[in-house]
Amino acid sequence: MNHVSVWVTALAGLMAAIAGGSLPVRSRVGAAVLLTWVSCSAALVAAVSVLHSGHAIVMSTTKILPLTGTMLVLTPLGAVFVIAIVVVALASTLYWLGYASHGLSTRSASCALPLFVTSMILVPFAGSVATFLVLWELMALTSLVLVLTDQSRREAARSAAQWYAVMTHAGAAAILLALVLLSAHAGGQTFAQIELHAHHLSGALRGTIFVLALLGFASKAGAVPLHVWLPKAHAEAPGPASALMSGAMVNLGIYGIILVGNVLLGGGPVWWWLLVSALGVLSALYGALYAATTSDLKRLLAYSTADNMGLVLIAVGASGMLAASGSRTIAAIALVAALLLMFNHSLFKGALFLAAGAVQMVTGTRDLDRLGGLLKRMPVTGVVFLVGALSVAALPPLNGFVGEWLLLQSLLHALPSTNTAVVITVTVAVAALALTGGLTVAAFVKAMGIGFLGRPRSVEASNSHEVPATMQLGAGLLAFSCLALGLAPMLILPSLELGARSVHGVGGSSPVHGWISLHLFGLHGELAPSLLAGGLFVALVATVLARRLSHRRSRPWPALAPAEPWGSGRRTQTVRMQYTATSFAEPLQRVFDDVIRPARDLDVSHTVESHYYVERIAYRTSSDDVIERVIYQPLIAAVRRWGRLARKLQNGSVHRYLAYGLLALVIVLVVLA
Amino acid sequence: MTLRILLKTVAHPRKVSKDLGPAPHPSDELAGGLHGSFQVRHVDAGSCNGCEMEVHSAFSPIYDAERFGVRLVASPRHADALLVTGPVTKNMSDPLRKTYEALAEPRLVVSLGDCAKDCGVFKGGYGVEGSVSDIVPVDVHIPGCPPHPQAIVEALRGFTGK
Repeated sequence: MNHVSVWVTALAGLMAAIAGGSLPVRSRVGAAVLLTWVSCSAALVAAVSVLHSGHAIVMSTTKILPLTGTMLVLTPLGAVFVIAIVVVALASTLYWLGYASHGLSTRSASCALPLFVTSMILVPFAGSVATFLVLWELMALTSLVLVLTDQSRREAARSAAQWYAVMTHAGAAAILLALVLLSAHAGGQTFAQIELHAHHLSGALRGTIFVLALLGFASKAGAVPLHVWLPKAHAEAPGPASALMSGAMVNLGIYGIILVGNVLLGGGPVWWWLLVSALGVLSALYGALYAATTSDLKRLLAYSTADNMGLVLIAVGASGMLAASGSRTIAAIALVAALLLMFNHSLFKGALFLAAGAVQMVTGTRDLDRLGGLLKRMPVTGVVFLVGALSVAALPPLNGFVGEWLLLQSLLHALPSTNTAVVITVTVAVAALALTGGLTVAAFVKAMGIGFLGRPRSVEASNSHEVPATMQLGAGLLAFSCLALGLAPMLILPSLELGARSVHGVGGSSPVHGWISLHLFGLHGELAPSLLAGGLFVALVATVLARRLSHRRSRPWPALAPAEPWGSGRRTQTVRMQYTATSFAEPLQRVFDDVIRPARDLDVSHTVESHYYVERIAYRTSSDDVIERVIYQPLIAAVRRWGRLARKLQNGSVHRYLAYGLLALVIVLVVLA
Repeated sequence: MTLRILLKTVAHPRKVSKDLGPAPHPSDELAGGLHGSFQVRHVDAGSCNGCEMEVHSAFSPIYDAERFGVRLVASPRHADALLVTGPVTKNMSDPLRKTYEALAEPRLVVSLGDCAKDCGVFKGGYGVEGSVSDIVPVDVHIPGCPPHPQAIVEALRGFTGK
């Protein structure tokens, strides 16, 4: 039964890709979506059965890949990731049905999207190094094709794809090196063999392997400073693809780190996990800061992805540190926190990217300074975005809150540790978490307030209308799951625990238990999300009622008088006088001036008649990524210099090449003589 | 040098504000009606800035109108009253009207200086629209060209009753 569902997953995905690539344009997308759903459902069946029984699915065949064969193993940890990916994939493909007419019904796109989904679903199934690398590369290539599909912004998409291609392949090279080193020294390329033998390796080798794998996987997860491709590629990818990349693909970076660090190498010394946590703290702060200051809706979401992946990395690092210092139960809680944060992020970031894609489809722009007033014109999309934004901001009763609560609990209980480095990291991480939370709220108040409230700032925004029902449904599905998991996180927690416990090998009672109220095993921590939400609701209703009653007794509400917004007494007011995303972020940008170092440019031109009269003032400000400017641009310049030097050697002249041949011959003769 | 003055001031704080006598009589028409707090938005409708100098010193540490509950605020949305100076010029008549409309009711208008009353030396000028009362209803007038800060503070104390 399980083997059948794995086969169905792979074959239906392949058929979906073939259907998308070959059928005529009318039936192409529909057929591809249907077959992708079959594939997703089969994967869901396999994952649920693994989580239900607690036993891994193991199957192998020598027929598909030459020399090495294919090995598919689904552990409880992998099953958790499969479920997260499947949920986002189901919603995004449903959304794709409505979005397809917007440049995503070409043969290449309809072939790449199902293939992308299937390869992502199958990555956690991989049970050997070769299988893993093939699926990983397939995922990278298909997503690269999807980044390139938006023809309306060809130049930007091409540049983004270039960044993405280089970063993802550099990452894949690091992963390849790590896994090949590992399999060479552990005497086998299946993960089971590696697991058995990995602890015989020397400490230095294990460290090298882990750092290489961390570099590769962290770049996929968008951890700062390897994140530069993420705000470009996720922003340029069309709606469903960006939701899949940000909601599902980045998770696999986290999966890779847990797989190599915890499973294959079986945990490691504290410094590995300090490195992971440090990366996490950096990404969380940097991502949140840029999300708060950018005015491009999808770049904002992409930076927020880097921020959220940072939180997950902090949790993964804390879990590793705790396991290395012996407290396995709290380590399991931290890992549950990591998985829950990851899962939540999939749901809300998927919803947010789908909503942002709808906005871009209708208005043709992502610039918040040209949007506004969308909530009235696109009510469903607006509410989806609002739910997503509240969830990112970790407010109860939404799912983001439970995840951050668990993370804080595990960090606070990690404190009584004897290792000074751990204590310092954990303290810094808690402080970073607080600052990140604040910046995230600012970022999403900006996105919601400027983008969806107020009055439209452009013709496109005022002409916007609600998107097709399938798109609303796809995005709404994810928003609804955010709410459901926020009220009842126990729907998913037992599965996450099973995944976490399979990694840390904790038997006995589960680290997080309880139905109405969450209890943490061995800690004094308790949270009842549904009661909290109920209490909030009752308090809200009571406040409104009390205010109504007290007012009715003293005096009735005064009649509402329409009034013009105050515009400093100007005769005419335009929509341009509203608060903009740039002006909203300006104070923050000023506070963090030394970090962001935005480029400002002020041009004042005077009239010909007199220098005292100003004809035109042009003010430009741009805050491009400082890490890109400081680290990557010099690197690119250096590569270019080397390229130019090489070009001097190889200039296309046949005479010169003949001379090289002669020279080589002479040198060889001299050496041999 | 500056640091020494600063340290001296911290060590021996002195009261610099003038004693301006007892609170106005509670039977005054306006005194106490605003419960001791009076938020004022100042509008320069075309003044020569003489009145502004005196308003400035009325809120300076010497006359210190804020100790009687009067505050100058940055928006008519926050204000109980307008404090208008100067003759109303053609360019400022619309903004003055709009500022008045932006105040929440009940609202008051205080005109300050002789020009606000009858346009003063600017009467009949090509850019002058009229006096303040031609544009918005005036409740209290503070005479003088310009009025003494003490007179301004006394008039404003009439509103707060402090």
